[in-house]
Amino acid sequence: MGAHISIPMYQRAVPQRYRLVGQRCGACGKINFPPKAVCKYCYQGTSFEDVQLSGRGTVYSYTVIAGGGAPPEFAAEARCKGSYPVIIVELAEGPRVIAQMVNPPEEGIAIGMPVKAVFRKIYEEEGVIRYGFKFSPA
Amino acid sequence: MESVAIIGAGQTKYGDFPGLGVKELFAEAYLEMLQSVDRGLEQQRIGAAYIGSLSAGSGFQLGQLAPLLMGHVGLPHVNAARIENACASGGYALYSAACAVASGKFDLVLAAGVEKMRDVSSSKGRYWLGVSGDTEYERLAGSTFAGIYALMAARYMHEYGLKREHLSMVAVKNHRHAVSNPKAQFRKEITIEQALKGVPVAHPFNVWDCSPTTDGAAVVLLCNAKIAKEFTDKPVYLKGFGAASDYLAIHDRDSMTRLLATRKAADEAYKQAGVGPKDIDFAEVHDCFTIAEILAYGDLGFAEEGRAQYLLEEGFTQLDGKLPVNASGGLKAKGHPIGATGCGMACEVFKQLRDEAKEPSRQIKNARYALSHNVGGSGGTAAVFIYQRGDA
Repeated sequence: MGAHISIPMYQRAVPQRYRLVGQRCGACGKINFPPKAVCKYCYQGTSFEDVQLSGRGTVYSYTVIAGGGAPPEFAAEARCKGSYPVIIVELAEGPRVIAQMVNPPEEGIAIGMPVKAVFRKIYEEEGVIRYGFKFSPA
Repeated sequence: MESVAIIGAGQTKYGDFPGLGVKELFAEAYLEMLQSVDRGLEQQRIGAAYIGSLSAGSGFQLGQLAPLLMGHVGLPHVNAARIENACASGGYALYSAACAVASGKFDLVLAAGVEKMRDVSSSKGRYWLGVSGDTEYERLAGSTFAGIYALMAARYMHEYGLKREHLSMVAVKNHRHAVSNPKAQFRKEITIEQALKGVPVAHPFNVWDCSPTTDGAAVVLLCNAKIAKEFTDKPVYLKGFGAASDYLAIHDRDSMTRLLATRKAADEAYKQAGVGPKDIDFAEVHDCFTIAEILAYGDLGFAEEGRAQYLLEEGFTQLDGKLPVNASGGLKAKGHPIGATGCGMACEVFKQLRDEAKEPSRQIKNARYALSHNVGGSGGTAAVFIYQRGDA
């Protein structure tokens, strides 16, 4: 029991995790990310067009997960870095997404600061390295 | 719709009990509930039981926990089911039981909750605690529940000028309240200086901003209000009950400074009860993290959004204030046995509204209406209840 994500489950989300593929709603034109079966903005649209997100956005909120408080699968990273920031990014295309931040500025993270998506190792489980997006100061 | 009354309530002490498993915890709360029914209860009259639990004993009995527990207390044939909505499991058990009585289908229904959290290491505990957030995005960002509430706190600070000290004021208040609650896990006052300087957990939170892991169980007996006086002269009426959901992942929500699930649940409960926030004499709210109590003040209508922190500055929600909040010590100091929490709040309200919170200084005087508020995870679900004393 736990928050385990199997390899096939990870694989199914590769378009989002590797390439930030969002979906433009055929009914209202707004962009959903992560994908939904019914548009989260108009509650109507069920057909979508894939769109490549720019990966650019601003920090909407942030926290810094302390070493001792990290989930077990991130414990090694926390031990190595001491702590790591997690942020909510408001993407240029509209949706918000949660992710880690890399190379945070020394003076600290500020709400509103610009960031861009970067491709990074998330963690390793079952002998397979899981990759995905994080954000770095833009 | 039938009216609903509470005629019995019992709970274990909350804490760390290596000698007790889920069955023993549940039985202790159940037997205390039976004793609390003033004129006694023929147990076989209980028509149904809803039992809240997230981990079903740290995962050992994920399936069919409810019949296991009911068989342990001599009711093997009652219609029993487990209810799961993370930290709101107990609240949803209470909500389900209330709906079952209100429907007229059953006259006597049990609402209960149980959680055994202290059998596993803290690393294993963190592994399964994280299953109630959005696993695919929140968890893969390396976040925990503390992290998600910390993101809300940081945004609240940014939008409304909330200070770090305001968070600590919640912890100090609730720890002070817990001192006179014999059922509480931490009956120890802390100073504001201590609360400001705990071990960091997730910025801006330190360990004093977080509720503990807890073993515990709580059981509440509901009945059709028409027959309540058969059992007691002092029933507590459940005048309103509401529950609602929201996007599980925090990044899908429009606002991070309110919980829409709480707002919708509260609207439903207030409307049904025919009262408003100003009528409430005291409340037990879901303070899993200090910011959660501040959000609750706004979401339940006790303060305008963005101004909740001023209630703390004025002492409005202290035991001797105009609207005592978490007189029990709250999740922060009474403890937070996840699935039991929602029903444990109802136990506290039951005692208070019957003037049975006998410990020095804990009894809230002349209270007529009370509210309890239970949240699942970071607000994916919420349940709100309005109670009225029945001896007036």
